Amino acid sequence: MDPSSFEHQLGILLPRLRRFAHALSRDAADADDLTQATLERALRSKAQWQPGTRLDSWAYRIMRNLWIDTARSRSRKAKLEALPEEAAMVGTDPRGAMDAAIDLRRMMAAMQQLPEEQREVVALILIEGFGYREVCEMLDLPMGTVSSRLVRGRTRLLAMVGEQ
Amino acid sequence: MTIADETFFAWLDGELPPVEAAAVEAEVARSPELTLAAQEHRAMQARLKAAFDTVADPPVAQRLPAAEVIDFADAQRRRESRRWGSPVQWAAIAATLVLGVLTGSLISPLRSGPVDVRDGKLYAAADLNDALNNELASAPAAGASVRIGITFRDQSGAICRTFTNAKSSGLACRDGARWQLRGLFGAPEGQKSAYRMAAGADPNLAALVDSTMAGNPLDAAEERTAKARRWR
Repeated sequence: MDPSSFEHQLGILLPRLRRFAHALSRDAADADDLTQATLERALRSKAQWQPGTRLDSWAYRIMRNLWIDTARSRSRKAKLEALPEEAAMVGTDPRGAMDAAIDLRRMMAAMQQLPEEQREVVALILIEGFGYREVCEMLDLPMGTVSSRLVRGRTRLLAMVGEQ
Repeated sequence: MTIADETFFAWLDGELPPVEAAAVEAEVARSPELTLAAQEHRAMQARLKAAFDTVADPPVAQRLPAAEVIDFADAQRRRESRRWGSPVQWAAIAATLVLGVLTGSLISPLRSGPVDVRDGKLYAAADLNDALNNELASAPAAGASVRIGITFRDQSGAICRTFTNAKSSGLACRDGARWQLRGLFGAPEGQKSAYRMAAGADPNLAALVDSTMAGNPLDAAEERTAKARRWR
């Protein structure tokens, strides 16, 4: 495979996309479905990507739009079912050194407690490391909206998972 | 807080221009409350990132520490090829390719060589297709470039066969009149024995066979019968 090819570059992005999918999704199975759907959509939409522009922002945007399309409709029902377990998990004292992999479940549960518009901003900036301006462009939002969503989202997260 | 929340966090995230950042920094240093908030939020972000970073290492790569997944066409084009530079690179590609092969939905740029793409699925072609159609593990042809390992049926009843050539080993299952590739694994560099080892000895291939096979592998007589029935 040509290292500069679209497919190769997309392959390199895959771990990051998978991470973003986990930040958005309720569980790992949903996250992997979302990652797969994003790859398929990106490969099908290859012609729409303009070489010279950032492939990562483009692919993240595809994932975010797919997630909105597919996950929102079922999230209302799912949230009701999931609440008791998640509520029990969030905020439990980690007690000593916590393995990051175990912590993932707790963090995913906490992220799920955020409203969607806060969750995506928190994921893109605090986890994926995008700058504020990049996120404004990716989500087509003004700076004020992005930064206030980020404030609310991270403040709530800290209240849920804050270390004692 | 004496500073707006948005400004405080923009400072924390390194988003403020230098002059403004210095002003906020001084303000934070004067305020125990703000200093604590900065510490807590930094710790929370680090923990958040560490937790989610665990899924950025694709599990495929974790399961394939010593092998790489390659595509035949590429291997053919660059017979004396360079190796993938960084493990992260090939791990990512491995994840993509395996994901695609497993779901049959990755649109691959392969157009020639022993792998053919139809409707987004990968199929054996050329030598590989011939070997899967004609070779018997019980009676390997002398000098064949592809060696057949075991033959078995999957849960749907389709015949599957493992194969090995000089650079890779894999699993193909019957899909109509063709052999669809279910997995393809490259031999670690310098491991010439990959060609000789019994198919399935590659741990990754063995795991794939394990999850695919229903019942037992065909014995020599059953293999001949299956061939006579054109692998149906």
